[in-house]
Amino acid sequence: MTGTPLRLVLVDDDVLVRSGLRVILEGEADLTVVGDAGTGREALEVAARSDPDVVLMDVRMPDMDGIAATAELVARDPQRPRVLVLTTFEDDDYLFRSLQAGASGFALKRSDPDELVDAIRVVARGTSLVLPDLTRRLIASHVPGRTRGAAALPDLTAREADVLRLVAGGLSNAEIAARLHLSRETVKTHVSGVLLKLGARDRTQAVIAAYESGFMAL
Amino acid sequence: MSPTSYWHGPGTAAESVAQLRAVLAAARPGWPGRAVYALTSLPLGAAYLGLFAGLVASAVAVVYGVGVVLVLLLLGATRGVAGMERRLARHLLGVDVPDAQRVRDQRGVVRRVRRLVLGADTWRAVGWLGARVLLAAGTLATLLFGGAAVVALGWEVDWNAVTALPLLALVAAVAGGTLAVVDLHVRLAARVAARLLGAAPEQRIAELQQSTRRLADRNRLARDLHDTIGHALTASLLQATAARRTLTPAGDRPLQPDFARQALGHIETNTRTALAELDRVLSVLRTDEEAAAGGSFAAPSLADLEGLLAGLRDGGLPVALVLDGLADDGADDVPPALQELVYRVVQEGTTNVLRHAGCPLTVVQVVHSGGVLLARVCNERASQLDSRPGPGGGRGLAGLRERTAAAGGTLTAEPTPTGGFELCVTLPVTAAA
Repeated sequence: MTGTPLRLVLVDDDVLVRSGLRVILEGEADLTVVGDAGTGREALEVAARSDPDVVLMDVRMPDMDGIAATAELVARDPQRPRVLVLTTFEDDDYLFRSLQAGASGFALKRSDPDELVDAIRVVARGTSLVLPDLTRRLIASHVPGRTRGAAALPDLTAREADVLRLVAGGLSNAEIAARLHLSRETVKTHVSGVLLKLGARDRTQAVIAAYESGFMAL
Repeated sequence: MSPTSYWHGPGTAAESVAQLRAVLAAARPGWPGRAVYALTSLPLGAAYLGLFAGLVASAVAVVYGVGVVLVLLLLGATRGVAGMERRLARHLLGVDVPDAQRVRDQRGVVRRVRRLVLGADTWRAVGWLGARVLLAAGTLATLLFGGAAVVALGWEVDWNAVTALPLLALVAAVAGGTLAVVDLHVRLAARVAARLLGAAPEQRIAELQQSTRRLADRNRLARDLHDTIGHALTASLLQATAARRTLTPAGDRPLQPDFARQALGHIETNTRTALAELDRVLSVLRTDEEAAAGGSFAAPSLADLEGLLAGLRDGGLPVALVLDGLADDGADDVPPALQELVYRVVQEGTTNVLRHAGCPLTVVQVVHSGGVLLARVCNERASQLDSRPGPGGGRGLAGLRERTAAAGGTLTAEPTPTGGFELCVTLPVTAAA
């Protein structure tokens, strides 16, 4: 981790949620809140102005919801900022749609502050899925059932296919390295290769692609 | 093998019954079932003929005023007999007929009588018993004719060495033909039973409608809980977490007792509103439980507004309710769907005031005039130090705007020139809405 703190933008239509989050996150040395917004549209302005690393995005908001705002942010620049969706309930239908729109992961608003802070760091680093089990279950249950067929994905090497399978299984780079007896650097290279071939900007998008293509099946 | 393995003794009577049942079950849709059905149809047909005679007689007696009770009793008996007929048809003919709704499930004598007399299934049951009488007559006639033919062939004709064989064949043919015609009757009965004893289309539609309504009610309740209590608890949780951090010394983090004090105030208000909403939802659920098969959660109406605002007043919001042009007994000329929508608008508006502006003076106005229903939630300048003007409405507002548009109305939400905020909805009131 570098010395400069991660720049965050908080987006939620409730002032109380925003002010609470701000105090909680400002307490961490490696995080700084550079802006906040109460609507999706406002979020786009604030993000353009303050160059955040991660946007914490509520889903349901007046005047452009979190899904549309996420899609717009991703369309502007696929690499920065990354979007972490904040949700009240884990079985929210909107949740999957926000992942599909390009969010890198989601966290529950009720989660422990340490977990939340952790999720932000994971999203910024991109070396693992956030809430791997929940994310996998959410994606698997929302992608319409496909018959298994690895051919549907662009030509991954055998190693890359192994790596993708483990990524979709929720393993972090370190865990994959241990499982496949590879160095972390090699795993990182393979993951980058997979993302490039799938046209995915991060692991979450790669997992969605893996399920949508039928490469991963229930 | 010893003989005892064939004879189980009286101790295993249950086993024997089970075996008998298995035999019957195996034979059910087959000819033994139909044969039993044909045989029972003779005495039952006679009994139903009696029932019909009774119905006609009591219908005549209605003229003299004494027959009404008799007619009701006989109709009730008909429905009862139809229940038995359903079981017979299921067991002996293998026809799949569901049980009918019971008149007893209706509440109140008047509804029961209405259901008994006007229910299509009652008259279909009457029709079925009529069909049974006709079929029984047909079966009887067939058996008598066939029997007579066999008797005539046996006694009236000269049997000798030459005629014996063809005559025997003729008797067999007549007997076989008779049984085939009887079987035809039973098969016909099976067809008709499915029509007259099965679920009436209107019953199926009613059941479908009821389950759809329940699902919609449940979804609405879930959405309400999500938007109100889920939301209030989340905000409270984050405020509490933040407050605890600001009061916990750690590293170079400054203590912020002011933030903590404010946070506690928010938590107080939020929790109070959430409890008020929980109270309402629970009372709705309880009423629903009491209404038993009534089928739907009561939607909040204009009459519930006072209760809603009372909860907010307890939470510290000075709010007044002004009603105009509405009937005193709960505005029965405004359709329930519009009443609920207005309730939701007021609920959203006042909650947003608490959320964004603290506890400023607030007025809720509902006016019904000239076919237009207007509801307004208007608050004075924010009293809360850290508050900001609302961002054009809370999360529920988008949904309310959609519902308003669907009802042909308009919804506006904007700051007032004096620094307050106004949420306003106008809805056309038509009887059909």
